[in-house]
Amino acid sequence: MSLIQVKDLYKIYQMGNTEVRALDGVSLSIEQNEYISIMGPSGSGKSTLMNLLGCLDTPTNGEFFMDGINVATMGDDELAHIRNKKIGFVFQTFNLLPKSTSLRNVELPLIYNGAIKAADRKGMAIQALERVRLGDRIHHKPNELSGGQRQRVAVARALVNNPAIILADEPTGNLDSKTGEEIMALFDELHKQGNTIILVTHEEHIAEHAHRVVRLLDGKIASDDLTSRAR
Amino acid sequence: MRSFFWENLRIALSELWGHKTRSILTGTGIVIGIIAVSLMSTLINGVDTLFEDSMKFLGRGNLYIEKWPWFGDEDWWTLRNRPEIELDMADDIKERSEYALVVAAERGRSANLSYQDLSAENIFIHGVTANYPEVSTVDVEFGRFFTESEDRTGAQVVLLGSEVAKNLFPQGNPVDKMIFAGSKRFRVIGVLAEMGKFMGSFSNDTQVLIPLATFNKIFHGPWGKRTITVKVPEDRVDEAKEELRGVIRVLRGQKPGEKDNFAVNQQNAFRQTYQGIKLAIGGTGMVITALSLLVGGIGIANIMFVSVKERTREIGIRKALGATKGQIQGQFLIEAMVITASGGLVGLIISTLISLAISKFIFPANMSFGVAFMAIGLSIAVGLFAGLAPARKGAKLDPIEALRYE
Repeated sequence: MSLIQVKDLYKIYQMGNTEVRALDGVSLSIEQNEYISIMGPSGSGKSTLMNLLGCLDTPTNGEFFMDGINVATMGDDELAHIRNKKIGFVFQTFNLLPKSTSLRNVELPLIYNGAIKAADRKGMAIQALERVRLGDRIHHKPNELSGGQRQRVAVARALVNNPAIILADEPTGNLDSKTGEEIMALFDELHKQGNTIILVTHEEHIAEHAHRVVRLLDGKIASDDLTSRAR
Repeated sequence: MRSFFWENLRIALSELWGHKTRSILTGTGIVIGIIAVSLMSTLINGVDTLFEDSMKFLGRGNLYIEKWPWFGDEDWWTLRNRPEIELDMADDIKERSEYALVVAAERGRSANLSYQDLSAENIFIHGVTANYPEVSTVDVEFGRFFTESEDRTGAQVVLLGSEVAKNLFPQGNPVDKMIFAGSKRFRVIGVLAEMGKFMGSFSNDTQVLIPLATFNKIFHGPWGKRTITVKVPEDRVDEAKEELRGVIRVLRGQKPGEKDNFAVNQQNAFRQTYQGIKLAIGGTGMVITALSLLVGGIGIANIMFVSVKERTREIGIRKALGATKGQIQGQFLIEAMVITASGGLVGLIISTLISLAISKFIFPANMSFGVAFMAIGLSIAVGLFAGLAPARKGAKLDPIEALRYE
């Protein structure tokens, strides 16, 4: 079975008398170690799909299996556990806790994991920070780091729980192009190491780092192609 | 689950540290509330101890037959016009009452004492029967008490209260010395052990005891308050009181239906009145205290709502990373409880210091372990209640909305 299996996924909002079909029957499967980007103009349902794939939201209708688990009908707390164990988020605005050090920020998913002993957390967090080459910045707070370094802390935080997928929402949107390329190089590297990566972006040159591009339009999949990078 | 507690505690402490002024201002309401509640309880405990100590002066099984009741709302003129207690009733009472174990009589008035060139003014001269030690808590420290025959013959002997002895005989043993009470010479036969004060005013230490017969012989006329003290078995006080009323009514020839023209007083009367006062003061105090804690709690709830609002994005991040509703709720609840518990601790320290000062200068008011425990428990409970609504609000936030919050 695929890592992510989505079938006839609908997300419908009721705005007064009008029905807004943010997702209008999306079917998609993503395999282990795929590197996929999801593209589309604003209003295409891109964000809605990302929120569903990130288990931050539940669909109005449809099937959604993640790692063989049916997440479409889960309650809030079950979804929280899935997010914690299966998904590593990387956001456009980094979303680090401003008053906490890199180490504490990266430890956060481990704290909510529940199965990891407090004594082991620090070592795991340092390891994740070393993977993004921030081993020398573990006691720095976000405001003492550059934008690229902040995003790398966020990537380390996404990695620390060994999630099934890394879900990156416009990860370079707040970075200059040079730093953006550095972050993309990091994702390429993580992909080579065996991680499954989903990029949500509207920038073509970012999307091209992936091996597969899914384009959305009006809540439907408009195209689903392999890129030049795919062998 | 335990690790979340420590984690939340850590978050709470760093949040509070990050907003020092706000935390101090917020906690102050609780500090004041806890000072109020713990001082209140400590003071009541102190007054209780004081009261019980004082009550030792009045034997539990003693009934005091007097003209005036200790408490009550009878008409003053009626009371005033009652006949004085005839102290020679004592023997008849002893004879007629089944419950009476000891019947002692006493009378007193003030007079000036002197020894050589030293004098003590306005000393309470207490004329008592030889069995007085059996109905009171006086102890002879030096010398001896007077005998029954000394009492009967009206011997001019005196026992000094400890204060009086100190004043008249600053150095040296007063026993066998001759002192003057008014114009009469008395031989000192003993000194009473120090007793402390009764209800903070009257003290046995500033009186002297002479035989009742001697008192009657010297101080003619209607001098002083008269009391017949009847010692009865402690578990039969109520029956004994009824019996005594009957005996005295017969001795005084009162007609049926006529109101008693005397009072049978007992320790219980003090106790009941005291309990009533204590309940009134304590009750009022508790209401005021509860109000101040309520106000403090509202302050906490308010600031926690602000905190939840300010940290909407943080809540979004935590939820995205896998925090459950319960974990978010726990985080804010613990934060509220940390504020109130710290406030409670500070309040407890301050009120301990105040109660130490009171103990040193006014009266014994020691902070008990129970009061300290209650104060801390109460402050944590206030935090729990005040934090509940804000914490639930934070926990219910939608992660997507919260992450977008600027």
